This record gives sequence, structure tokens and C-alpha cells, in this order.
Amino acid sequence: MLEPLLGSTNAERVLVFILARNEGYVREIARVFGGDPDSIQKQLAKFESGGVLVSRTAGRTRLYSFNPRYPFLKELRSLLEKALSFYSKEEREELVMSRRRPRRRGKPL
Amino acid sequence: MKSIKEMTQGELAAFIQTHLREKGIDVVLSGGASVSIYSSNRYVSWDLDLINPYFVKRRALRETMQGLGFHEEGRHFEHPDTQFFIEFPPGPLAVGVEPVKQVNEIEFSTGMLRIISPTDCVKDRLAGYYHWDDLQCLEQAVLVAQANKIDPEEIERWSEVEGKLDEFRRIRDQLTGRKA
Repeated sequence: MLEPLLGSTNAERVLVFILARNEGYVREIARVFGGDPDSIQKQLAKFESGGVLVSRTAGRTRLYSFNPRYPFLKELRSLLEKALSFYSKEEREELVMSRRRPRRRGKPL
Repeated sequence: MKSIKEMTQGELAAFIQTHLREKGIDVVLSGGASVSIYSSNRYVSWDLDLINPYFVKRRALRETMQGLGFHEEGRHFEHPDTQFFIEFPPGPLAVGVEPVKQVNEIEFSTGMLRIISPTDCVKDRLAGYYHWDDLQCLEQAVLVAQANKIDPEEIERWSEVEGKLDEFRRIRDQLTGRKA
């Protein structure tokens, strides 16, 4: 959708994913889109280096989210929301619907 | 001319900026190093963030820095004679959602330093406090506010644009308190 503007499919995947879920990590993003983790990692690093994203570690996982201090964040979010509205219902559900509530350790389901 | 080993943070930043300007590259000091300068080193940052507002290619920056004896280590540059390390975060030159409108110039024996104003320095630190609840950033904002002439009304207006007016009102007295 935004590939002509952002220069790559993975750039759009990364940003749309973080828009939908507020944060994400390499393997999760790659799994949802069926992409190559190394390429996703490079794209995340590029956006972090450019000040668009920030990251923090949780255990051994590096979680990426939008940098609240990025001066074009509001406009970027609007653009991504518009792009997301063009995704199919299934794609939107896959992105937005994920378990957020806690899961007790050892619970079978 | 002082050697790099003898240079203070401000002198080193001015020295690097002056050499970059000779190559047509304009960068502006922001971040923790500007807090150090405006607080007379009551807060010390070893990291010099020279914002690259015009997205000059890394290769051009690297050439000048290597010419001054620095070497590249990941995202920053180091020099064997100084503990300070230099970063060139990409632009735009902004505080929160707004562009920086005024850049101050301070003359050092090593060259002229272009640096964000004390008011923008306070905003820059408050952005860290507002968005990440970072109390160190608030402390730094207070240090700068109490040691310099700042514009509290402008900071209040900016805080409102950032959606943080209530937070600003809670800390306003700390910023506008007795001068150090």
C-alpha cells in the first residue's frame, strides 16, 4: 500500500504492525507477515536509527514501539491508519486481534 | 589552539562543528551535552549529540571526523585523547512535534558553537520526562531552567501542544523557582 512512499514492503509491515499492536518484536512481526526475520530486523534498526521507533528489552526480547518524540508521529499514524483501512478484513483482524491479557504460567490453554 | 585532550565539552563541540562547517555541513548541539553547558557542568554528559538536520550523508561526516582523528564505533565516533563521544542523530531539529526556531551561537577559543536555546533545552528534557516518565530528564530541565533565562510561557504553550499541560502545571514551580 505505502511501498512507493516507504521504499519497501517490510518498512510498511513494520510500521503497520506497530500501529496495530503498539509494540512488536522481530519474530512476531515476521511470523504475522510470513517475512524474513533478518530483513524485518534491518528495517526495525533503520527506523530506530532514524528516530521513528524506540526499543526496550523485556527478558531477551527487544520490543519496538513508536518514538513519542518523533516530530511527524501524528501524521505518520494518520497515514498508516489510512493504509490499514485498505487491508482486507482478515488481514486487519490478524494484526489487531492478538491476546493481550495475561496468561498464568502452566495453564494448558 | 588547545589539543583535543585539553578541550572541554563545549570547546570540543565547537571545534568539530567548525571543521564540519568548512565542508558545508551544519550540525547543532542538543541533548544531554546542552544540559551540561547550560548548567555549567552540574550535570555531566559524555555524549555529544550533534543533530544533523539536513541529513548529510554518513560518509561525509565520517571523512571529516576521521580527519580530526576520530574513529567510528557503531553509531558514534570516539577519539583516543578524549572521553567524550560524538553522535550525529538525524534531523529534523525538533523539540517534540515542533521545529526548533532559534539556534544560539556561543564563541569558544576552538570555534563557534551552535546550540539549541536554554528554553528549547528545557523543552527537550521535558519531552523525555513527559513521554517516558524519566525523572532524570526533569532534574536536568530544572537545572537548566534555574541557571538560565528561559521563557516559561513558551514552555507552557509548547507543553499544551504536546498534550501535557497538566503535567507542566505540576512542575512549573520547580522550573520557575529561585535562581541558583
